[in-house]
Amino acid sequence: MARTVGIDLGTTYSLVAYVADGLPRVIPGPYGSPLCPSVVSVDADGSVVVGEPARRRLLTQSDRTIYSAKRLMGRGVADVQDELKLFPFRIDPDSQHVIRVRLGDRVFTAPEISAFILRELKSWAEDFFKEPVERAVITVPAYFNDAQRQATKDAGRLAGLEVLRLVNEPTAAALAYGLHEKQRGLVAVYDFGGGTFDISVLKLVSTGEGDIYQVLSTNGDTHLGGDDIDNVLRAAEWEEIQKIGLNGFSGLGEHAQMLREAVIAAKHELSLVDKTFVKFPAPDGGWYKREITREEFERAIAPIIERTIGPVKLALADAHLKPAQMDEVVLVGGSTRIPLVRRRVEEFFTRKPHFELNPDEVVALGAAVQADILESGVKNMLLLDVTPLSLGIETMGGVIAKIIPRNSTIPASAQELYTTGVDNQTGIDIHVLQGERELAKDCRSLARFQLKIPPAPAGHARVEVKFLIDANGILQVHARDLHTAEARSVEVQPSYGLNDAEVEKMLEDSIEFAEQDFSERQLIEARTEAESILLATSKALADDMAAELAADERRNIDAAISLLRAAVLGSDYKLIRARVDALNQATMHLAELMMNRVLHVAVEGKRLEEV
Amino acid sequence: MTAITKKGTVCWRCHAPHSGGHFCAACGKIQPLARGTDYFAFFGLPQKLWLDCAELEKLFHQLSWKLHPDNFVRAGEYERELSLERSSQLNDAYRALRDPVARVEYLLAHAGMRKEGAAKQQAPPELLEEVFELNESLDELRTARASSTDDSHLASLKQHLEAEERKLETKLREVDEELKRIATEWDAAFDAGADQSQRKALMSRMNDVLNRRSYIRNLVANVQKELAEA
Repeated sequence: MARTVGIDLGTTYSLVAYVADGLPRVIPGPYGSPLCPSVVSVDADGSVVVGEPARRRLLTQSDRTIYSAKRLMGRGVADVQDELKLFPFRIDPDSQHVIRVRLGDRVFTAPEISAFILRELKSWAEDFFKEPVERAVITVPAYFNDAQRQATKDAGRLAGLEVLRLVNEPTAAALAYGLHEKQRGLVAVYDFGGGTFDISVLKLVSTGEGDIYQVLSTNGDTHLGGDDIDNVLRAAEWEEIQKIGLNGFSGLGEHAQMLREAVIAAKHELSLVDKTFVKFPAPDGGWYKREITREEFERAIAPIIERTIGPVKLALADAHLKPAQMDEVVLVGGSTRIPLVRRRVEEFFTRKPHFELNPDEVVALGAAVQADILESGVKNMLLLDVTPLSLGIETMGGVIAKIIPRNSTIPASAQELYTTGVDNQTGIDIHVLQGERELAKDCRSLARFQLKIPPAPAGHARVEVKFLIDANGILQVHARDLHTAEARSVEVQPSYGLNDAEVEKMLEDSIEFAEQDFSERQLIEARTEAESILLATSKALADDMAAELAADERRNIDAAISLLRAAVLGSDYKLIRARVDALNQATMHLAELMMNRVLHVAVEGKRLEEV
Repeated sequence: MTAITKKGTVCWRCHAPHSGGHFCAACGKIQPLARGTDYFAFFGLPQKLWLDCAELEKLFHQLSWKLHPDNFVRAGEYERELSLERSSQLNDAYRALRDPVARVEYLLAHAGMRKEGAAKQQAPPELLEEVFELNESLDELRTARASSTDDSHLASLKQHLEAEERKLETKLREVDEELKRIATEWDAAFDAGADQSQRKALMSRMNDVLNRRSYIRNLVANVQKELAEA
């Protein structure tokens, strides 16, 4: 039987997990880590590289490589203008209701890019189980709107996966925690990831049939995450660099990526130590290096952390609860490793938050639990989730009539009765929106459609339209003529995102990617990895610290380099992998030397590229 | 009790006749929902306005276990559709019935007795004078805010409006009490098997109270908005 997996399709990293013996586990990839960087790179010949090797290409081929593509899911061109100042997305000028980005000389939509990541994870799982994987539960930020959810579902379909359910990330995390900690009562899940922030308030109830995880309210910001922290740090560093002047450093393209990686490394270290360096190789051969303290870091990012508190207050208000009434607070997402985040959450809830489960993995684990529930039919847990945004229809004067309020348990529905205003009117235009504001222009347009009416005197027609939000949080529309009791088909044109025909077309086109030979893909990845370690090694050997190497150490490194170069010319990916490992071994001491100098702390066992 | 499944029909699957209920008594398959099923009947409850919320939540959870789409992932397309229809109805019904005011709103709407119309915009007669005064004070506040020369004047205006807001909140509580009294009458009339005209009279009174309530709530929201901006 084909397997069903749980997938966390994250902004920065994606993971795949499964359940065995009643416990969820993550599946490691070819590099040993379960974290697959959500980075995609496309070669001139159209072959696609995903994950760790693609991440390294940000430094060498930034114009054909994309990260944080999740930010573009279900968005229109006008939505992302602010982001374009901060992210190197090359938007195709032909983009209309769906954004298309350029990678090299090819053009992709965000669902297609996400599909490459999903397909990669699918292949991880297939390599792991040695059997096909065809169905998945995929997680989405709780505050994702209809278009963003639909885009995620499209991505699953393009990757050859049947998406059994979209589950909200904080809800998935609560499921994993509930299983692990046997929690009951009121739980707040604070999920601060790479690109999105969610807060969900849940009530965990034990009933005779099993445990119910009932979401009471949710709120968030789908464009607030670790990326924003990185961008603030990068802007600050760029100012410093301009002050001192750095020869040949443009701050663009690969240089921008180098700076980005340097501030991210510093951010990670500052969760563990009080001060560190922002450090990267300068174009003229030396090193750029500046000390940064945790205090300076916290001052810079405090406004971003504070932006999470507003949604938290709104979610609690909607649940009619006060912060102190929470029985448990759970931290999810990589950004909750930051000590300032933990302090702020503890201060707000006056309670120590939980972070026993790995914040990077917990969402994928929860997705696997839900996948297992759906697949095995063993039901001792039930998720009752909510829709994050109110659903409304535009009425006279551009005013919104809310028909399904936010935080309604899903599935949820509403019926509206329509009739004609003039004789022989043959259509009624309906505009569906999502959002909390009073006017249509301030809300998110979901779709427009026209109800077809047979010619008749004004007011004769009676058409009932049913708006239904399904368990994935996705809108369905059905219409029925009350005179004939006949169902009317409704052709809904999404305001943002792909219509069915476009997805079909992409499915056909994507076969060329799907059929790409497994070993060919492995070879591309191994070569890419070899490229980047060779580059890192030659940079390191140019560093002063290289002088401290013993003569035989230096000889070993040179030999390992020649062997790897020879292997890259061949097509044996296993050999390339082995020689990459050998070079990593040979340069271990050099990496330590450089690391010691930088951090003044002994960090052993790091690979050269990570220093 | 009202049947919540198409009456006078047979099970779509095993063709056994059935008399309502979420599932076929013979084969256990989920059944299509009858049009216009009322939310009370969906839970197997009489159309009464006093409800034990803990008991309602328990019913909600019990039905969720049975009707949720999770249970039908591997079922055929038709059953998945029925599950979606029934579980959305369950959630809609719970949302309407768990809140005492929304419950009255629903009861009236379902009976076609919820009439807002022009009454929504019109001040109830006994409030006319107060509303007139309140609007004057709000105008004054806006003027004072725009000129922003006399801080003490603005402060005293704000104080006055805050006191007005408290008065309105008290009025709102009185209205809620009134609604509760009529709801009790409704339940008593229901138990006594009151006829259609008696029921209609009670519903009409509740409709008036609901209109008054929504009018006062709008006033409070207005005052709060202006105060927040001042």
